Amino acid sequence: MLDPRTKMLLVVTSASVLIGGGSGGAMNVIKPVLTAVPLLLFLCSGKWKAAVIYTTVYTFAFAGEIFLVPVTTGFVNFIVIACCGMFARFMPGIAMGSYLVNTTTVSEFMAAMERMKLPQKLSIPLSVMFRFFPTVTQEYGAIGDAMRMRGIRFGGGKPAKMLEYRMVPLMVSCVKIGEELSAAALTRGLGAPIGRTNICKIGFKGYDAAAMLICAVSVIALLLEKVT
Amino acid sequence: MKQKIQAKDLINVGIFTAIMFVVTMAVAMLGYIPIFIPLLSVLVPVIGGIPFMLFLTKVKKFGLVTIMAVLIGIVIALMGMGVWVIFTAPLFGVLADLILKSGSYSSVKKSIFGYGIFSMWVIGNFIPIVITRGNYYDMLISGYGQEYADTLMGYIPDWSLLPLLAASFISGLLGALLGRSLLKKHFIRAGIA
Amino acid sequence: MIEFKDLRFCYTGEDGTSGLKRINLHIRKGEAVLLCGESGCGKTTLTRLVNGLIPHYYEGTLSGEMRVCGESIQDTPLYDLAKTVGSVFQNPRSQFFNVDTTSELAFGCENLGMREGEVLKRVAQTADELSLKPLLGRSIFKLSGGEKQKIACGCVSALGPGIIVLDEPTSNLDMRSVNDLQSIIAGWKAEGKTILIAEHRLYFMQGIADRVLYMRDGEIREEYTGEEFYKMPPSFFRERGLRSLALTRLNGCGACADSEKKWLTVKNVQFSYSRGERLLDIPFAELPENGVIAVIGHNGAGKTTFVRSLCGLLRKDRSILEYQGDICKARKRLDSCYMVMQDVNHQLFSESVLDEVLMSMEKQDEKSAESILEALDLLSFKQTHPMALSGGQKQRIAIASALASRRSILVFDEPTSGLDLRHMEEVAESIRELQKQGKTIFIVTHDPELILSCTTHILHIEKGRIWGNYPLDEVGRAKMMEFFAGDLLGKEVCYDF
Repeated sequence: MLDPRTKMLLVVTSASVLIGGGSGGAMNVIKPVLTAVPLLLFLCSGKWKAAVIYTTVYTFAFAGEIFLVPVTTGFVNFIVIACCGMFARFMPGIAMGSYLVNTTTVSEFMAAMERMKLPQKLSIPLSVMFRFFPTVTQEYGAIGDAMRMRGIRFGGGKPAKMLEYRMVPLMVSCVKIGEELSAAALTRGLGAPIGRTNICKIGFKGYDAAAMLICAVSVIALLLEKVT
Repeated sequence: MKQKIQAKDLINVGIFTAIMFVVTMAVAMLGYIPIFIPLLSVLVPVIGGIPFMLFLTKVKKFGLVTIMAVLIGIVIALMGMGVWVIFTAPLFGVLADLILKSGSYSSVKKSIFGYGIFSMWVIGNFIPIVITRGNYYDMLISGYGQEYADTLMGYIPDWSLLPLLAASFISGLLGALLGRSLLKKHFIRAGIA
Repeated sequence: MIEFKDLRFCYTGEDGTSGLKRINLHIRKGEAVLLCGESGCGKTTLTRLVNGLIPHYYEGTLSGEMRVCGESIQDTPLYDLAKTVGSVFQNPRSQFFNVDTTSELAFGCENLGMREGEVLKRVAQTADELSLKPLLGRSIFKLSGGEKQKIACGCVSALGPGIIVLDEPTSNLDMRSVNDLQSIIAGWKAEGKTILIAEHRLYFMQGIADRVLYMRDGEIREEYTGEEFYKMPPSFFRERGLRSLALTRLNGCGACADSEKKWLTVKNVQFSYSRGERLLDIPFAELPENGVIAVIGHNGAGKTTFVRSLCGLLRKDRSILEYQGDICKARKRLDSCYMVMQDVNHQLFSESVLDEVLMSMEKQDEKSAESILEALDLLSFKQTHPMALSGGQKQRIAIASALASRRSILVFDEPTSGLDLRHMEEVAESIRELQKQGKTIFIVTHDPELILSCTTHILHIEKGRIWGNYPLDEVGRAKMMEFFAGDLLGKEVCYDF
């Protein structure tokens, strides 16, 4: 629905405004709006589970700030403030980030990066990275299976050994897959010093304009707040 | 050493950055419990040392470590975890790259020291906590009074970034040593380094 | 078209045993050449020379001359070669750059900067020619091995190179997918493409290959025309360590189903995706306890899920195994079953082969560990790092640690994919040995040769259900062959249970 570039802008804006912004004034409106954006996007793209998780966690954090903070004292109070404050501030940004990652394909990413005139030195490794995340996670899972089968479990009391058992097969298989992946990509002409084309259709539409407006207002408010 | 960076180097950077992320994310989940957050400045560099040291065996050109750092900054920002890493990661990345270059990408000591410096990127994650402190402080004074606000702020002093920075550097060194030992014990013998 | 003169190559950091010695080769335009030989004979290396991965990606010392379409490969960068040479590789899971199929088909054209309209035209045309339409727009991670390999062929076709190089493309495929691949290759040949293919499975290139080169120790030892080669007697292939040509020529007797008196039962094996789609539903099955059970079926039928359930690896698994009078729930099976995974790299953790075995023992006992290693022909490697060994040796290390942990049920997930005759026979030998020791063995496989050389029983799973459960006696053998032969003819054969 949104252009990947808009999504990126939304992530960065919500993270910086919600984490860095103060309270009072225009922020009383802007912060709730930015908080609502990821929920709206989750709902629009049918990601019901994500919407429910996001709403629940945020509600708890918000309720904690209102109800728990006044009734606790000392160290406990500090922890409550820290926990709730952290979640309320970081959750929207992280939710927006997960929306970005889950709704954008590698080729859309590449198209967005090419439109933003990012040099190949960044766009190639970035797209490889996004391609490789699921692979590393899969390998991680398979190694977990092998460990369970061998009876290597957490709680054995040897965290260093556990780390070694996890990392050694993971590194070995990832490096091998990585080698094959590079070989395949290179034989398909990746890295040619020519302007790469892209059949992926990305572009700004009405929704993007609305989202950008929100971002612009938020950032201006943040800057004004920092200046005064 | 003046060779140009080629596509295969760029692919390698992408692969190793992905590995770095997945393995450090597994520990970074601890960060959802806020009291463990300072601990991340220790755990992330230590675990990251393992893939990083393996990555260095494939790096012989200037710029790749910097690119990795820039990628880390971009991804952290795109995952909504704050924008400061976009600045800290490339800064420490370039420094690390320069250190490694001075050792022609083969000196063991420089690679350990270089990773220590590289690890200091994590400080970017802590900057907002200190910066937003002021807002909290005001809020606390108005709500609970000066004295109470001061006690609470005692938990996050002004200078709290410094020990975190030091911690990340030292853990980076430890991570590099751990990475080296696994490299010798496993990866070289397994023929992938 | 392709010209090699006195070519030598040795990979950096190796002693030269796996390189190439003195290759002289000329391949004409439109010719289809099949490279065969045992593992490590240099076939893969030769394909890498043609697509330029050597010397541009894999490093080593190279001497001699090589030209593709009159241009020296050494001086042509990979992205230029991409226009003239297309490649399909062995491992379907690692040759994709994108996560969805349409982008993958377009990827090569995009890299070469073709205009958008041209790229779309080529993608549509390729999808049409290779009948890939149903696969468009899907996630790469949700395709079966055969489907992935078809997409890989599509990627090559879209770029329209004159030369196509395939490096063991059928290693991970079932027979039906091999058929699909066969017709794609035949189509390429009809278009006049030059084809170079390195393979262990030979039957499907009959009628396509114009020339067959037999390689050994990095040299081309023998050369035949396609016609000559496919008329050779079985002994010819056996002597050279090559896989049989066709099912009709398989003459193994099977491990001859013996009197199976004791039975184990599995009950209530069910598995669904989180979306509720039922993947596996086996309410009840009875299998021989001292048997070697081949689990067969097409890619994506649920075979691997079945054995994962057997090993207790599935979450929220309510199935039950009745074994030697015990009722084993999933949790308990984790301690009594052991799977030798398809990618054995996942299950090797230690710094030496001996440690790997010791780690599995309840009480570490070096003597008995060594005797296990000795029996599997691994003793001389006991101080070597497991990951440094060959695929077959790694597999045997996994077997050794299963033995050390005294597991009574062993599961092999496609142990012979991509293996040559000699290595396949080694696996079969180890499995027969395990059976003698009284283990129950399950083998998920697409390899009729392996089935005939060591199994006693067949469990045929299709679409998550049991389609056949029979001993491998004369009747069973015929049934099994019919399944594989049915695949060869491209039609499905089904049985009532």
